[in-house]
Amino acid sequence: MRRIGAGLASLAVFLALWKLATVVGRYPDYILPAPEVVGERAWRAVDSGVLWEHTAVTLLEVVLGFAAGATTAIVTGIALGKSVLIERVLSPYIVAAQAIPILALAPLLDIWFGGGLLARVVICALIVFFPIAIATMVGIRSVDPLLAEMLRSLGASGPQQTRLLEIPSALPVLFGGLRVGVTLAVIGAVVAEWAGASAGLGVLINIANQGLFDTPLMFVALATLAIIGLAFYGLVVIVERRFVSP
Amino acid sequence: MSSQTSRRTGLDVRIDDVDVRFGAPDGGVTALADCSLDVPAGSLTVIIGPNGCGKSTLLRLVAGLIAPSSGRVAVDGREPRPGDGRVGLAFQQPRLVPWRSTLDNVGLPLELAGVPAVERRAQATDALERVGLVAAARLRPRELSGGMAQRAALARALIGDPAVLLLDEPFSALDALTRETFDAELQRLWVDRPRTLILVTHSVSEAISLADRVVVMTPRPGRVARIVDVDLPRPRPPELLGNPHAVDLAGQVREALATAHAVELRPWAEQEGAA
Repeated sequence: MRRIGAGLASLAVFLALWKLATVVGRYPDYILPAPEVVGERAWRAVDSGVLWEHTAVTLLEVVLGFAAGATTAIVTGIALGKSVLIERVLSPYIVAAQAIPILALAPLLDIWFGGGLLARVVICALIVFFPIAIATMVGIRSVDPLLAEMLRSLGASGPQQTRLLEIPSALPVLFGGLRVGVTLAVIGAVVAEWAGASAGLGVLINIANQGLFDTPLMFVALATLAIIGLAFYGLVVIVERRFVSP
Repeated sequence: MSSQTSRRTGLDVRIDDVDVRFGAPDGGVTALADCSLDVPAGSLTVIIGPNGCGKSTLLRLVAGLIAPSSGRVAVDGREPRPGDGRVGLAFQQPRLVPWRSTLDNVGLPLELAGVPAVERRAQATDALERVGLVAAARLRPRELSGGMAQRAALARALIGDPAVLLLDEPFSALDALTRETFDAELQRLWVDRPRTLILVTHSVSEAISLADRVVVMTPRPGRVARIVDVDLPRPRPPELLGNPHAVDLAGQVREALATAHAVELRPWAEQEGAA
């Protein structure tokens, strides 16, 4: 109850400061619309179904992209963590792929993967991949060597070591990676939509910005993206609490 | 000796002319050199020696955790293999898995061997009973005191009733009083169900109060310097250590330790003796 109260209070302060800025600065709506203007625009966008139409597309991309990216990242991270050879061979490519801006890579991936949902999921998965793979690798390596030797003395096989010791030891760090990854998934979805899509919140931002000069609608889309990010982040934290004992 | 060898419980352990080297051949460390030791089935052998003399290496060999660089290690004539169920090992630290309850930690060896959960819990509870820790079955390792954690580790080594039990300074982190209690309990456990028991320690009084035989090791590279047979009756209460014979035996162990150590401090002493 107290946590919810604190959250609402900080939201109220944020909205009040926003309102204050518009009053003091007397900005026109196309530069900084007041909160109630954005609220009214949001209501119309919801009412007409436009907002949901675009949000649904982005949500699907985020969920699929995050699931695909996180799954491959965890598997790769385990391999990287367990084998120095695999790390030596793969890590330069992984780091290089991460160093190339996703914005520059997205149009190419869009062509390669046929420009549809698949292409957008791949772009989203790619940006999610890096922090989760690295976190998994670091986590797997954080295993207490004394416990590993104890398990070995009991005749534990490689897979048993992974299941009973390495993955549980990696979980706290791994969840750190998932928290970062899930917020990046939202960015990935928008970037992917900019590379080529007909719907989605990224597309809605473009329409509002360049087509309609409807800055309040752009704010609505941005706020929706923020809410999606917060919601998924919260979901990861809830799952984390179930798996990682404090 | 005859009373021990006739008690054919446990398996005999044979270490035959073993070398153990770690690291590169030129710049590595030789932990054990030409080390030979016969441990008769069912005997309680205590290995004593200075830090770094390879005592723990010796136990790891018998547990099958490491292989000798040369020579042979055999438990009942066969090379030991981790998980073959013949050897139980308790380390110097409890090494409990932090996210598992005491019961699940103790049952871990059976879990790895694929024993069904119900059977596993029953045996783990039984093992906890033997070390007096049933009340803590549901607690996590961080909720246990140092002594309780060592009891849990001992229970984990005892589960599955291995024929050979290896204890690597399991009580060294405990205070002197707790340690005496533990030694007495360990002796009771061994008398109740005799098996081959090899215990590594730094403490001469612990060695005398527990052992059939005390094996004194030289500093690195370790080999057996001397074996002192302890023919004191059992059970051995703490006051027995004041008995003149026990004092004499402790003296022999101390003397062997000092002699072995002197060779390390004055490497020429050996040659002088030979000349």
